[in-house]
Amino acid sequence: MNEFSHLIQFFFSGLTTGSVYALMAVSLVIVYKVSLLICFAQGEFFVIGALTMVTLTSKGLPMPAAFVLSIILSTAVGALVERVLIRRIRDMSVGNLIVMTIAISLALRGLALLIWGKESAVSPPFTPGKPIHVLGATLQPQVLWIIGVTILVLFLIWFFFEKTKAGIAMRACAENRLGASLMGISTQKVALFAWAWGSGIGALAGMVVAPLLFIQYGSGVMPMVKGFIAMSIGGLESIAGAVITGFLLGLVESYTIGLISSQFSDTIVFTILLFVLVFKPSGLFGASRSREV
Amino acid sequence: MKEAHLLLLMITRIQERRSTMKKIRVALFLFAGVFLMVSLGGISGAQTKAPYKMGVVLPLTGYLSWLGEYMKKGADLKAELLNKAGGVNGRPLELIEYDDQSSPETATRLAQRLISRDEVIALQGTGTAVISGAVSSVANKSKIPAIIQSGYALSEKETFTFNNAHRTDFAISRPMMYFQKRGITQVALLMPIGPLGELGSGVARKYAPTYNITIVGEEKFDVKAPDVTAQLAKLRTLNPQAIMAFTTGEPAALLARNMAQMAMNIPLVVSHGNATPGFLRLVAQTPGTVIVPSGKIMAPEFLAENDPTKKVIMEFAREYQTKYGEPANYYSGQQADAVSLTAEGLRVTRSDDPVKLRDAIENIKNFPGCNGVYNMSPTDHQGTRMEDMILLTIRDGKWAFLE
Amino acid sequence: MRHIQRYWWLLVLALIALYPPTLGGMSPYRSGVLIFVGIYVILAVSLDLLMGLAGLISVGHAAFFAIGAYASGILTAKYGTSPLFALLMGMLLSGGVAWAVGRPVLALKEYYLAMATLALNEIIVTLIIGLQWLTGGASGLRDIPAFSLLGFPFDNPIHYYYVVWAIVFLVVLASLGVARSPFGRTLIAIHSDETAAKTFGIDCARYKGRVYILSALYASVAGSLFAHYMGFLAPDDFSVLTSINILVMLFLGGIGTIYGPALGAIFLKLLPEFTYQFQDYELLLNGIILIVVLVFMPKGLFGILMSLKDRLIGTRAT
Repeated sequence: MNEFSHLIQFFFSGLTTGSVYALMAVSLVIVYKVSLLICFAQGEFFVIGALTMVTLTSKGLPMPAAFVLSIILSTAVGALVERVLIRRIRDMSVGNLIVMTIAISLALRGLALLIWGKESAVSPPFTPGKPIHVLGATLQPQVLWIIGVTILVLFLIWFFFEKTKAGIAMRACAENRLGASLMGISTQKVALFAWAWGSGIGALAGMVVAPLLFIQYGSGVMPMVKGFIAMSIGGLESIAGAVITGFLLGLVESYTIGLISSQFSDTIVFTILLFVLVFKPSGLFGASRSREV
Repeated sequence: MKEAHLLLLMITRIQERRSTMKKIRVALFLFAGVFLMVSLGGISGAQTKAPYKMGVVLPLTGYLSWLGEYMKKGADLKAELLNKAGGVNGRPLELIEYDDQSSPETATRLAQRLISRDEVIALQGTGTAVISGAVSSVANKSKIPAIIQSGYALSEKETFTFNNAHRTDFAISRPMMYFQKRGITQVALLMPIGPLGELGSGVARKYAPTYNITIVGEEKFDVKAPDVTAQLAKLRTLNPQAIMAFTTGEPAALLARNMAQMAMNIPLVVSHGNATPGFLRLVAQTPGTVIVPSGKIMAPEFLAENDPTKKVIMEFAREYQTKYGEPANYYSGQQADAVSLTAEGLRVTRSDDPVKLRDAIENIKNFPGCNGVYNMSPTDHQGTRMEDMILLTIRDGKWAFLE
Repeated sequence: MRHIQRYWWLLVLALIALYPPTLGGMSPYRSGVLIFVGIYVILAVSLDLLMGLAGLISVGHAAFFAIGAYASGILTAKYGTSPLFALLMGMLLSGGVAWAVGRPVLALKEYYLAMATLALNEIIVTLIIGLQWLTGGASGLRDIPAFSLLGFPFDNPIHYYYVVWAIVFLVVLASLGVARSPFGRTLIAIHSDETAAKTFGIDCARYKGRVYILSALYASVAGSLFAHYMGFLAPDDFSVLTSINILVMLFLGGIGTIYGPALGAIFLKLLPEFTYQFQDYELLLNGIILIVVLVFMPKGLFGILMSLKDRLIGTRAT
């Protein structure tokens, strides 16, 4: 162990937790960008994706198949929720919508409790292997998977929203619903798609992160809260900002724990959030109205 | 034209009325439902005097729900066994169980419901120190005995509360005794933010000198964190020979996993709350040495023939395996003991007076249970000793008796 | 009929006053449930002043609930002060924090304001946990005495019930007064169009700050009442989850109506008394019930009540 190994470990620790926050924040930002809705139920899709995959693999399905199936299932649930519930209350006030997503998250969590019970699930890492050693500090290989998946998601989003017709339609819809519908874009289909996207990515986040944690029906709350914080600090509409801030948040946390105090690290993080909100409310990377994808 | 216009108007009016009517109907239904439930709820509860009613407050949902399940199974089984043997004083035991949702406010409300409406003669349960505090507060105000099981440290003012869990003191000093025998003197503390951590830290520092142990450093961690390698790295610079982390469940497993990741091959002592099948599953594949203090029920094969608790434990373990298809665990045994203690108190007093029951429980001596031999007194409301605890470790994915 | 319209509130008061000896069956448990209900009515109504009237989203109202509760708890349990003194100190502290934090935070818009209030809530809770020597930390604060006035302790839940509901009555009355006062109307104006209000020369920051302090004061009172009833406090009961619960009461009942959130609080606090029997299904059931109410009754319970009233009694001629 060299003298600085613990400092490097702080970095890796921050990278690990930051990757969880970043991916979660990205899923939240995507839903917001397209539907201007902040979905409090994202944490439950996180859990549903993870637990579905665990169940499928434990029944003998090979991991790639389980992976794909879980995403499809979670996306279906998200689409269902949109079709049945969100569509009815689309025109309600922001507050009502937020409370609605809270109610949905309660219902989904209750469902998860009934389906999967109360015990935590152990999820095997995507590639079995020893931790990576660098200068006396270690990192779990799964973190590289998380970072990889995050980059893939970013690329997919960029491609979809910039290059495909459907994606451009969704962007148009978010910017100006009336105008978009006048142009013949089905706003209802777009909303459905947005939710499906959001729940799919939330589930993806859950599946990729699961090997790091122990997932049970209530495990979605923490990643969601931290994802929210990352989104708020990074800027509501900036996907790149969400990623960067997610990692930054993890790093700030771990260096605070390592160098200042492990007892008050949460207090410090929230105080930073408060400061950022007060002095730069659009977030570190947000601009007032510009759109980045 | 005009007719069509009028018709349209009429239809829209009817539709409006219908939707409002529907809304009003739904609302009325909900109101009536809630109103009825609240007012009739108490009346419909059967108030037969025959059974002895005991209230059990359990974390059946919330982050401790896995614990609640074990507690419930143990209590249910013990009550069933006692009832099969004829009950207490010829009367059956009836357990009334509620879910505290891991919230002290809910626990307070439930304790009051159990006392006022369900008219229980004793309370038991609670998974954490905070819930224990809430329930104890209600029990002492209402003068109903409560047998809780958690790290909650009883104060003298709480004359109606008993805690039949092994004292945190034992759970910490027992491993320290083991360390002393092995020549381990440098120990680091990694405590969770929360009541367990506060308790564990205080007790560890109190007993360290007794066993020639120096606490080289202490760090705290968030039980919801995905990674604690930062704290571990910080502690590693102090060269500890062992780490004590008074934490239960997933966080304990995460600690073990992170330590293995960092190739920290020193023993990790966790709380006695981990002596459960659930925790075993979480760490079965993790390399490293994890030490779990536990009651003897987790390793019945190692009990000496003349151990006074052997008979109780073997019988309970056998019945538990038959009924639930899994081995009996520490928490189930603990909860079963609470039922037994209350039953014993009832057997002695033969009355329905909670105060007399409290007095009787207070004077129980030499009573064998799953957790050990109980010797209660007005100044000792816990009743067990350090010798009633053993140390477990995990080898080949199974529990192994350490000492 | 007209008399009912004008004096319905007397009827409600009578119902509340008569509850313990009649439906409550002189049961300390039933009174206890309604004590919690009353405390949350105060919380919901105080939040309605902030969110309903002034339109300032707060997802961290439990912060002031906590400050009041812990101030009362610490001062009476550890320093033996009188509960009334502790209550006033709690209000002072709450108001102080609201004043200090309000100035910068209330200028934020919507979502950012929500996040800032959430951050404040978390900061307060983590401080409570961190300052263990003062607050008992995560293990909790014990031995809080019952509320007492002029030496008379209210340790019987049935007596305390009346104290709590008397305060509820006062708070609701005061809030209604605020809503109908020029102050309240200015807040509504700021809510609907802040820019327009500014052009009229209204100092929006000052008005927003004042209502924030007011809502914090009421929440603090609720906290003190809570502490003396529980006898034991733990930070678990003051988390963002609690803040969200209060928020839900607001929307359930009908935001902006003062009566609505009171109804929402009553409904949400009594609901578990109905669903607890369902154990594992309770979480799912609560979520579904909430969804049903939100989808079919967008104006909240209060809206339904008003429609009901209109159908039965007819609208009042202005």
